[in-house]
Amino acid sequence: MAAPATPANQLDTPRAVANKRDKRTLLRAIRMALGIESAAVRRNTQTFNRNRYREAAALADYDALKDEARAIKERAIAGLPDLLLTLEGAVRARGGQFYLASTAADACRYILGVCQAHSARLVVKGKSITSEEIRLNHMLQGAGIEVAESDLAEFILQVADEQPSHNVAPAMHYSTERISALFKQKFETSEPLETGEELTKFARERLRQKFLTADIGFTGANLIAADTGTLMLVESEGNIRMSSLLPPVHISLAGVEKVIPARSEMGVFLELLALSFNGKLTSYTSFISPPLEDPSFALAGRPRKKREFHLVLIDNGRMKMRQDPVLQEALYCIRCSACMNSCANFQTVGGHAFGGEAYSGGIGGSWEAGTGALENARFSDLCTGCSRCVNNCPVRIDIPWLNESLRDRLNQKSAGSPMATLLGLASAAASRDRRASAQKIFFGNYHWFAAMGSRLSGLSNGLLKNQAARSALEALVGVDRRRELPPFPARTLVRAAGEAPAARPGGTRAKAVLFADVYTNYGLPERGLAALKILRALGADVVISAAVPEGRAALSQGMIATAKKHARRAAATLRPFLEDGRDVIVVEPSALAMFRRDFRHLLLDAALSERLRAHSFEAVEYVARLLEESGRAAADVFDVARSPVGPRLFYHPHCQQKTLGCAEPTEKLLREIGFDVATSGVECCGMAGSFGYKKEYFTLSMAVADDLFGQVQAAEAVSAGGPRALVASGTSCTEQLHSGLGRPVLHPLELLAGSLRV
Amino acid sequence: MAAPAQTSLLELFIARATEAAAKVDRVRRSGVELRNAVARATEGARSLVIADGEFLSAEFFTVLRSLPGVIAKPTDDQLATTDAGVTEAFAGVARTGSICIAMGPPLRATSSLLMPLHVALLPAERIVSRPRELFALDGIGAEALGRNLVFVTGPSATADMGPLVRGVHGPHRLHILVVE
Repeated sequence: MAAPATPANQLDTPRAVANKRDKRTLLRAIRMALGIESAAVRRNTQTFNRNRYREAAALADYDALKDEARAIKERAIAGLPDLLLTLEGAVRARGGQFYLASTAADACRYILGVCQAHSARLVVKGKSITSEEIRLNHMLQGAGIEVAESDLAEFILQVADEQPSHNVAPAMHYSTERISALFKQKFETSEPLETGEELTKFARERLRQKFLTADIGFTGANLIAADTGTLMLVESEGNIRMSSLLPPVHISLAGVEKVIPARSEMGVFLELLALSFNGKLTSYTSFISPPLEDPSFALAGRPRKKREFHLVLIDNGRMKMRQDPVLQEALYCIRCSACMNSCANFQTVGGHAFGGEAYSGGIGGSWEAGTGALENARFSDLCTGCSRCVNNCPVRIDIPWLNESLRDRLNQKSAGSPMATLLGLASAAASRDRRASAQKIFFGNYHWFAAMGSRLSGLSNGLLKNQAARSALEALVGVDRRRELPPFPARTLVRAAGEAPAARPGGTRAKAVLFADVYTNYGLPERGLAALKILRALGADVVISAAVPEGRAALSQGMIATAKKHARRAAATLRPFLEDGRDVIVVEPSALAMFRRDFRHLLLDAALSERLRAHSFEAVEYVARLLEESGRAAADVFDVARSPVGPRLFYHPHCQQKTLGCAEPTEKLLREIGFDVATSGVECCGMAGSFGYKKEYFTLSMAVADDLFGQVQAAEAVSAGGPRALVASGTSCTEQLHSGLGRPVLHPLELLAGSLRV
Repeated sequence: MAAPAQTSLLELFIARATEAAAKVDRVRRSGVELRNAVARATEGARSLVIADGEFLSAEFFTVLRSLPGVIAKPTDDQLATTDAGVTEAFAGVARTGSICIAMGPPLRATSSLLMPLHVALLPAERIVSRPRELFALDGIGAEALGRNLVFVTGPSATADMGPLVRGVHGPHRLHILVVE
């Protein structure tokens, strides 16, 4: 759809855009990734992701495993200093060496020292993203030592001189065709280099000799048990087994966060990591406590050396992360890659755009910031907060919150501008947040601009259609002029609701308040009116709240102080309704996600936050509950024959709605009524709140949406029965579908209200 | 005869190991049967290396060593070029179709890694349900304490060059003989 126009030879190399300290580099990296790497990344991440969903669904005690893993990691990080002492004792007791390096340079110095003590000429190396963090190869090669990367992905990256783009499959951005072209360019050989088989054979044969003759074998470690010094090593190719078994000296490098208390706790992680690999274990998962008893290898009369083992653990910022109330959580990460595979932006650009010099994806920003400089986490701007990673994280890290917090810190580093200050003052942004860009303040305080626009809807709707006004809006606050902006309705939801008919007596005895969220109130009030109509038809006593921001917009811009202000205001607005025994009904899923997930970070009153979490419902979810409680069949209340758009639907649930488990009730209800529902299988539509409106991300947003548009097309193929009406639950998803396909998009509530039997 | 519960574990193990591209055969617990099965499994291999066992009778290994092509005390140069390795498995894991090799005894680690063909002898009663049982503090987990283990699930594989390719640095073929 939005194919980049830049020819491939004018695009940057991945290395040139690895460090995204400034936003310009991030944008160049996105251009490069969309131009070259997108197709392979999409195919590979989505395959990983599909397999993971399938296997996780089949794992009966998935949640219990996650809880167990989380508890182990929490305990490990809390007691880390003691664990390191225990581990040192265990390694030394077995005759191994233990070194705790404080910085990357320190670790490099120690490793070089070991190599030089053995007059090493060749180091054979298993995959280690941590070694990328400390630029180990660069340092060893500079000292005249040959480094042979033996994981085939790392082998490709070494040949290409690129940084990893993914922590499990670091060269997943390469297609077979591109590897073939690369090898043909870099190697002089008569061997065929076309197919995956041929390329694998070529690399295998080159590396076989390296394994057999290396002076030193180098590996990372997935986990380390403090009580026994056991390393957990996960791989599929056999290169890590070779590297740790054959050479006389084995060096293992890992971050201190990889240490857990006991070997007996490793089984939980083994089972959880399997989900990242088809649900099977990888071909090889080793649990070894080196030095091994086996004699080291000695070919062709070379002397057989005594085994030596060095465990090098690095701090390099991790102990500081441990003291950081936010970044601490990143230390729980077990590098399974579930977050990046389930991320729509990552699926589209991969880790060379959505990543830094070593770490990538949603969790990568925290790692780059924690082990380097905060500015290195600039790429975490690509986290839209859609939350699709949240349920997939095996240790339950709240990755969107980490990225929102990084954004908050980056906002503080920004220079600010007169325009930002002006907009911040006008819209009452928290003083701390007025340093953010004018664009962030505009989107973060959108409720204020929407209220203004709505009050003057005649004027503002005229301006929205005016090219000069749109150019000004783009120049001042970065709203892409290619985006159609929906007009402000003549009457907001709150005003229109005052004129809506009251509940019919009888039916349910439910009492509820409809939360007038910003997007429904100022943008699409008909959704809210439909909710009132349905709930009242069911006999519910439902009232409407004042229109207040709940903080989602500010939170997503990293304006956390403002988000807290908004959250408190919304909670105070809703408190009397809760005390009156009313459930809180929400139309916009991103607002519901604030009540259910995010308020715990923002509200001081934990009891109120918990009450709101337990008593807030997505509007259609609530309708389904009322039907169930009253024992009425959906088809007795709604009639598919009355549907304003016919019975065939393409339904796109909102990303946060899916994470909250609120998408299924809508699908189920629509099917019970008799609708023929095709549901989108994408993680996110690409618009993701403000993301797709931002001028710098418009192209990426449209590229992400290609998958969604493709699915609509497939569901509407002649063989699939032809056209369907488009239905979506989120405001920005509605806009994305509308702009991409040029067709009307209904909210399920509007469809249901139109299908009421009465 | 295995108990019924063990039989269903065995069936699950065979199904999953086969999905993971291992070849699995069931063999009766006798020296002759085992010898014949290993001979069939290593057909075409000019040389093979056999690591000592712990759980199957030592006699069986004596019988296996009489197979043609067996290198009794291989040098490292021979290990690097041998066609097949035979090792006993410490355990099997039904859910994932994995075998677990306990390294340590001579040749156990190398003969399960360096050769294009790896033949694993798995005593049927040593199949457990799920991976974490090997880390429990009782039962087979207690036996595993202090050992260096590798869970082997199918032959070595990669998807780094695009399509899934079996046979990278480790064995290209994994043949499991479940000994009942």
